[in-house]
Amino acid sequence: MTDEPVTAVEGYRHEHRWRLNIALIVLALLIIIALLVVVVLGIVLWRVTNNSTPTYASAEEHFKYGSIGSEPASGVPYWIWKTLPSLYPDEFQRRQDYSAFGFLYETDARGRQRDLPIGISRRKVQGVDVVWVNCATCHTGTWRERPDGPVRIVAAMPSNNLDFHRFVRMILRAAADERLAPDTLFPAMRRAGARLDIIDRVIWRTVVLPRFREGLVRTRGRLQPLLDIQPPWGLGRVDTFNPYKLIQFGVRAEDLPAAERVGAADLPAVFNQRPRAGMNLHWDGNNASLQERNLSAAIGAGVTPKTVDHAAIKRIADWLMDLKAPPTPHRPDRAAVTRGQAVYRDACASCHGWQGENEYVFVGERLGQVEPITNVGTDRSRLDSYTEGFRQRQLAELFAGTPYHFRHFKKTNGYANMPLDGLWLRGPYLHNGSVPTLADLLKRPEERPKAFLRGIDIVDPVNGGFQSPPCTPGTRLPRGECFDTTVPGNASGGHVYGADLAAGDKADLLAYLLTF
Amino acid sequence: MNDDPIFRELRFRNLTVKNRIFRSNVSGRFDNEDGSLTQTRINWECKFANGGVGAIISSYVPVLMEGRIIAGYATVHRDDFIPLWEKLGKAVHSFDAKFIMQLSHSGRQMDLPGVHNEHRPTLSSTSNKEPLHGFLCQAMSKAEIARTVAAFARGAWRAREAGLDGVELHAANGYLFTQFLSSGINDRTDEYGGSLANRARFLLDVIAAIRDKVGPKFHLQVKLSAVERNNVIPWEGKGNTLADTLQVAKWCENAGVDALHVSTGSLFPHPLNPPGDLPIDVLAVTYDGLISSGVYGFRNFLLFRYPFLRPIFRWIWFRMKKGRPVEAISIDEARAIKAAVKIPVINTGGYQTASVIRDGINSGAFDAVAIARSLIANPDLVKQWASGRDKPAIPCTYCNKCLVNAPENPMGCYELARFPSRDAMIEQLMTIYRARPELRSPSAAEV
Repeated sequence: MTDEPVTAVEGYRHEHRWRLNIALIVLALLIIIALLVVVVLGIVLWRVTNNSTPTYASAEEHFKYGSIGSEPASGVPYWIWKTLPSLYPDEFQRRQDYSAFGFLYETDARGRQRDLPIGISRRKVQGVDVVWVNCATCHTGTWRERPDGPVRIVAAMPSNNLDFHRFVRMILRAAADERLAPDTLFPAMRRAGARLDIIDRVIWRTVVLPRFREGLVRTRGRLQPLLDIQPPWGLGRVDTFNPYKLIQFGVRAEDLPAAERVGAADLPAVFNQRPRAGMNLHWDGNNASLQERNLSAAIGAGVTPKTVDHAAIKRIADWLMDLKAPPTPHRPDRAAVTRGQAVYRDACASCHGWQGENEYVFVGERLGQVEPITNVGTDRSRLDSYTEGFRQRQLAELFAGTPYHFRHFKKTNGYANMPLDGLWLRGPYLHNGSVPTLADLLKRPEERPKAFLRGIDIVDPVNGGFQSPPCTPGTRLPRGECFDTTVPGNASGGHVYGADLAAGDKADLLAYLLTF
Repeated sequence: MNDDPIFRELRFRNLTVKNRIFRSNVSGRFDNEDGSLTQTRINWECKFANGGVGAIISSYVPVLMEGRIIAGYATVHRDDFIPLWEKLGKAVHSFDAKFIMQLSHSGRQMDLPGVHNEHRPTLSSTSNKEPLHGFLCQAMSKAEIARTVAAFARGAWRAREAGLDGVELHAANGYLFTQFLSSGINDRTDEYGGSLANRARFLLDVIAAIRDKVGPKFHLQVKLSAVERNNVIPWEGKGNTLADTLQVAKWCENAGVDALHVSTGSLFPHPLNPPGDLPIDVLAVTYDGLISSGVYGFRNFLLFRYPFLRPIFRWIWFRMKKGRPVEAISIDEARAIKAAVKIPVINTGGYQTASVIRDGINSGAFDAVAIARSLIANPDLVKQWASGRDKPAIPCTYCNKCLVNAPENPMGCYELARFPSRDAMIEQLMTIYRARPELRSPSAAEV
């Protein structure tokens, strides 16, 4: 017996077996790495293709918290949303939520404040949780009977607490702020509870944050010049069409003629949509199609033709069709009401319909018609902010080639006569919220308050609307803000109907209006 | 007939051949393990002599047992083999053909080492493994070079003593001489490596030694690869260019070589030599004998056996063939070499058409051609041309099944489509065993 290999090749193979072993180990490692890569890629792919959003069982819940598709193009990544309060404590009045901007928080079944406020929905965008506004942001408000009474949240009433202008300015300011750089943001996110795994960290650093900041920088570039030249919109108000011109159509703020630059108006109630079908909707009555008005409002909230969630919008629209305003808590003198109803019939009903025993009657010769600005005489800024040129771009560019193509927008010459259902929740009054109470509205313009406090949700059982004590513009207030009717767009003139009534008739009419 | 350049005799300095057709070097495993030739080899060579070729170039004949390419092939490493070769020469002469012995040494290109060689790496210019099969090798020392040079000289002397008509040095197709000549293979730092002159030193030493041994009157020709294209395995160097080979050809002429035989490629087989197809499905069943010959044998076998792996080898092998003809594949290189030397030039590379050969001779590309596969397919090819055909009735398809069957099966044509039946094909393969040796009882000393 000899240990000699059988052949030279076998000897070589024996001597070099370590190479084979190393090669096999390397091969095994490569296979393991390849498998890991496949698994990681699979997980990443699974995550980045996740575009789900919660669907709520009740339509009201979906109205308050469900997505209409605004998040992908306009939203804020959830963990940034959660972190901003700690990054900008002054803006948030040192609260760890968004209530400083008037966002409303409900409590969950266990009595704890819900994670997201009403009007903020959540959707996975390529696997990342993103939040942004929905219909309820602008259409859910609160009221109280007494300062110490319970706060009641009413879906579909105007958002009387929301300072959307300040909220938007805060978000835009963050765009170019170093606190949103990864090295500051990520630790703050961790403190806010974010638990990012390694894949998340890579995605956040390379995609989520750059894309979010790019988007913000772009929006800021377009919108900020307008915000800088406009007066603040104020609580419960929004400029519907001017940001739309800048963000959707790329119009430059400096190219907007002075007459159309100020378009802030009150956030409206959205009760009882079915009877409103066919009426001229929006303050200026520029569209008689409920569906188009809804979709246009959704664009205002940040959806785009690509991201819009039509099914969600339809669900909400269907629910709003027959949603009644809650009954008025006011209990005026019955006899005065009866007398006031007669006064109202003569002076108001043909334009506004009337309140029956149990429900509002949407009947009136001129109800839903546009009243020329020369007749109504109210502030024309909102009317002038919607222009023929803008209308043409809306019709030509938005949803073109789809069944949702806009067809019904029109340029009007006045403001539409609105039904007054749920009137008790709709103060302050007129399209721009420039008249604090119903009693003030029945005064001649020069007698109406020049400045009053907005943002108090305690109803006024005597004058109608919310308590709105006089104030001095420019003073800091513990709650609400001082509305100055001398600011452009805030004029409280016009709509003098009823101002010349005899004092008794006026009191009766007010009593009747308190039942609306 | 004399007007046809194919049938015009070819006069070398020391040899005259009756026509311009040489049977190129090809054989099978016909012979004995000790290197002694058999009746079967005589039958094989006479088959072509009978077919009308002017000369037979033997298959490679190792001058040392350590230089065998495939075990079971006849060698010329022993004086007592001279009478055997003499018998072979006479048999070929009886069919009016000349016989030129191709003196050879495998170097590292040893396909089937056999019992004599399997235990050791082969001697070569380099110690780098042969890249296709992974054959092991060891760079020769100067003493080993000197011993090998002397072995070539003695081999030539034995051929002359056997009454053969000349010798050819197989300095082409990747064997030992190529391993010295090639810039892609030779990595020596002594006087046998580096410059072209150094790399050619081994060949020129052998030529000088042969001339010393057999004198100037014995026919000596050299087979060269005009262009090496050594990068069949893509990361290998490209090897010698045509310009290099032109210089080597001139040095050979000056050293007293009588003729040059022009081939191509620095491996055997090489994608361009023999030109044509490579039947990988046949390799899948015949390559198993080579698995243990080289360290890459098993890898290659897997590449051949499993169809999903075949595209890898197909790409390696067929990428060089694109746009090249099969017949007369290296005619341009032959023409260049012929222009550079005064001695006759023989070209090989798929020749099968009389008019192509005539044009080649008339245009000065070469003086003669050497043919293997087309003669295996049609041993009477020359007679068919003589009868006026331009191409044989049932031509060689260049399938190369003869080539890939060589390690395991008798040499012959394996293109079933050329035969009326499988039996007919087998019968053709068996013809070389028809003339049988006379068997006898060995003496006591012989067993």
